[in-house]
Amino acid sequence: MHFRCTMATGADVRDILELAGAENDTGPISKKDIINSDKKKSKKSTETLTFKRPEGMHREVYALLYSDKKDAPPLLPSDTTQGYRTVKAKLGCKRVRPWKWMPFTNPARKDGAIFHHWRRAAEEGKDYPFARFNKTVQVPVYSEQEYQQHLHDDGWTKAETDHLFDLCKRFDLRFVVIHDRYDHQQYRKRSVEDLKERYYNICGKLAKVRAATGSEPKVYIFDAGHEKRRKEQLERLFNRTPEQVAEEEYLVQELRKIETRKKEREKKAQDLQKLITAADTTTEMRRAERKATKKKLPQKRETEKPAVPETAGIKFPDFKSAGVTLRSQRMKLPSSVGQKKIKAIEQILTEQGVDLNPMPTEEIVQMFNELRSDLVLVYELKQAHANCEYEQQMLQHRYEALLKASGASVPQSEATGLEGQAWPGVEEIKTEAKEQIIDVVGAPLTPNSVRHINTVTFTHAHPLISQSILPLVI
Amino acid sequence: MSGGVYGGDEVGALVFDIGSYTVRAGYAGEDCPKADFPTVIGVTLDREDGSAPMETDGEKPKQSGTAYYIDTNQLRVPREQMEVMSPLKNGMSTSLMFEHYNIPAFFLCKTAVLSSFANGRSTGLVLDSGATHTTAIPVHDGYVLQQCIVKSPLAGDFMSMQCRELFQDLSVEIVPPYIIASKDPVREGSPASWKKKEKLPQVTRSWHNYMCNTVIQDFQASVLQVSDSPYDEQVAAQMPTVHYELPNGYNCDFGAERLKIPEGLFDPSNAKGLSGNTMLGVGHVVTTSVGMCDIDIRPGLYGSVIVTGGNTLIQGFTDRLNRELSQKTPPSMRLKLIANNTTVERRFSAWIGGSILASLGTFQQMWISKQEYEEGGKQCVDRKCP
Repeated sequence: MHFRCTMATGADVRDILELAGAENDTGPISKKDIINSDKKKSKKSTETLTFKRPEGMHREVYALLYSDKKDAPPLLPSDTTQGYRTVKAKLGCKRVRPWKWMPFTNPARKDGAIFHHWRRAAEEGKDYPFARFNKTVQVPVYSEQEYQQHLHDDGWTKAETDHLFDLCKRFDLRFVVIHDRYDHQQYRKRSVEDLKERYYNICGKLAKVRAATGSEPKVYIFDAGHEKRRKEQLERLFNRTPEQVAEEEYLVQELRKIETRKKEREKKAQDLQKLITAADTTTEMRRAERKATKKKLPQKRETEKPAVPETAGIKFPDFKSAGVTLRSQRMKLPSSVGQKKIKAIEQILTEQGVDLNPMPTEEIVQMFNELRSDLVLVYELKQAHANCEYEQQMLQHRYEALLKASGASVPQSEATGLEGQAWPGVEEIKTEAKEQIIDVVGAPLTPNSVRHINTVTFTHAHPLISQSILPLVI
Repeated sequence: MSGGVYGGDEVGALVFDIGSYTVRAGYAGEDCPKADFPTVIGVTLDREDGSAPMETDGEKPKQSGTAYYIDTNQLRVPREQMEVMSPLKNGMSTSLMFEHYNIPAFFLCKTAVLSSFANGRSTGLVLDSGATHTTAIPVHDGYVLQQCIVKSPLAGDFMSMQCRELFQDLSVEIVPPYIIASKDPVREGSPASWKKKEKLPQVTRSWHNYMCNTVIQDFQASVLQVSDSPYDEQVAAQMPTVHYELPNGYNCDFGAERLKIPEGLFDPSNAKGLSGNTMLGVGHVVTTSVGMCDIDIRPGLYGSVIVTGGNTLIQGFTDRLNRELSQKTPPSMRLKLIANNTTVERRFSAWIGGSILASLGTFQQMWISKQEYEEGGKQCVDRKCP
């Protein structure tokens, strides 16, 4: 046995000695007294006279003059919240409240048994606070006639249905537990879905029957077939072996790789396309302009100005500055142009004998900018062309190498619907190259075939392989 | 325990947990039982020569007329109006409780449910490895799924049997302390030298066996260890040895045997004394039990596997179990093993759960009062208790 020693507070001492020095309110302590969260006692503010602020005065100015408490506005901002200290409970500050061993009845019980427990003497006679937690699920109860009329079912006897409903009531519709406690010897072996189906069917029918005429009750439809299939699928999912899981992972990864490659290809193709249309439109625009200078200017210009893709060439910033500027500012290259392009421009200009920094008159500025833009376009086109050539070469080499590798064993392949026997061992290539070439980057562009851009994919089971290889070789 | 703050309400209930090895008893609302004594009844038989030897057997008392000695001094019951709650797996005779002891209210609850409550869960798989058997009991929403319980007899007593055989193989005699008057220190491995007490009363066979069993159980608790991976001769040979001294002075270092014996719990195919391979290891017990449950609740069960029982306190048990289960469960399943570290909590978790339950305010409506029993009879116990 050990005592726990607590400090006797002033209130206790006074209580023991029965002194009368209790000026502070002696009523029962409330939570506020123990946890004194707010240091300042909140005074009940008396009627606050609110003055209407005069029109035209700013809100902040008015706040300076008239605040709620009529105090002077603070010079320094102060913090009225608790700050970093944690609130300590001040125990033992008031008079002790005695506890009593008293009998009680629990209104949630049906038999009115009397138990005893410890409770504060002040709370004698009050209700049992935990009775309100006595909630039950509403399970419908049917009468004999209702059963005979509506709820009759071939698969279920009345006894069995009653047993089911009894269990539902006992276990608050926990179907897993109900299924576990179901009397499988006496009645047939039922699955959880069967039980649920029967229960919800009955609930639905009863709701419909009992509903007042005219109102459409909400009926919960239970789909037993769907549940069964779902559970079977889950079962299969759980019982997968690690190899199957690994295989699935691998396949998913491969799929992702294929997708990314496809996207890259498409992007490249689009870029090229943009470049080419830019090139085409600029040349057409030039031709149109030259013609237009001889004819009426405004109309032609408006009709024949398609949206030039600004990605090709250089976009010179057209700044609207307030005030005075120098025209040569407009001639400055924007910083977005890369070093290589600048070098290329300079090179071509010097080759052609053009001054790198001409005199910035209005016409010259415009023409010079256009010239540089075109130069950049040409440079980009050249690069794209070189890239495509290179890719084509590379793929051709690869294809030949593969042909050689599989050319050693040429099987008598069945006719796969491919034209000509010029494709020996295409099947072989397919199977061998499964890992390496899952797809082929899009057929390269030649300057002649500008308009026909085919992006081609070539998976190992694709029957149209020949069509993809065809443009490659040609 | 203040009411209202934690939802507790002290009614003054008693909680009894009658196991096969010990009985735990105490007041509800406390965190460990006041009385924890072995479930062994001592019966004295009067003989003609006046000596009164003790006969022990493990059966519960049913006859009256003989004096039964149980160590119940710690529990005092001052108030007449005391309710009794007992966690039991099978039903104890409620008539005994109500009619013989005249209690006002009574409640029976399954041990698995209370173990899971003690760990703060209402759903989980309770793996209870005690003295007589190891069981896996799925609990869903506070109710036991009776048809999915899996039992295996490989538990504490099985371990004791194996240890006894080990000592027989080493030809070491188990001498309980009550016989020994004095002993001399001897070298490791050499036979013990001790002197027998004179004037020993004549004891019965069963009592002597009981005393030897305590020695073996002490050895079992302190020396045995479960290895992390399935038993391997070479790995076991490299494990550090543990020195143990028997009460008669015989001391020895135990190395590979430490790991070999508890291996039988997890992998019964190699264990001695088992006929055939029909026994399930602990890992298999758990997975079989979960496999019999509805598939929708399986993640919930795997997500809280509660390990209780005195036998699980063997060093390395939980780690090995964790390893085995994570191998056997599908990879998408989240596996969580709940195993309290303190001895008290694992051995008494059913009792603690009962203590928690009986002190809840919302539980007070579930008691079976004397009036209800008189009206309804024993069937009301089946109905009201989960």
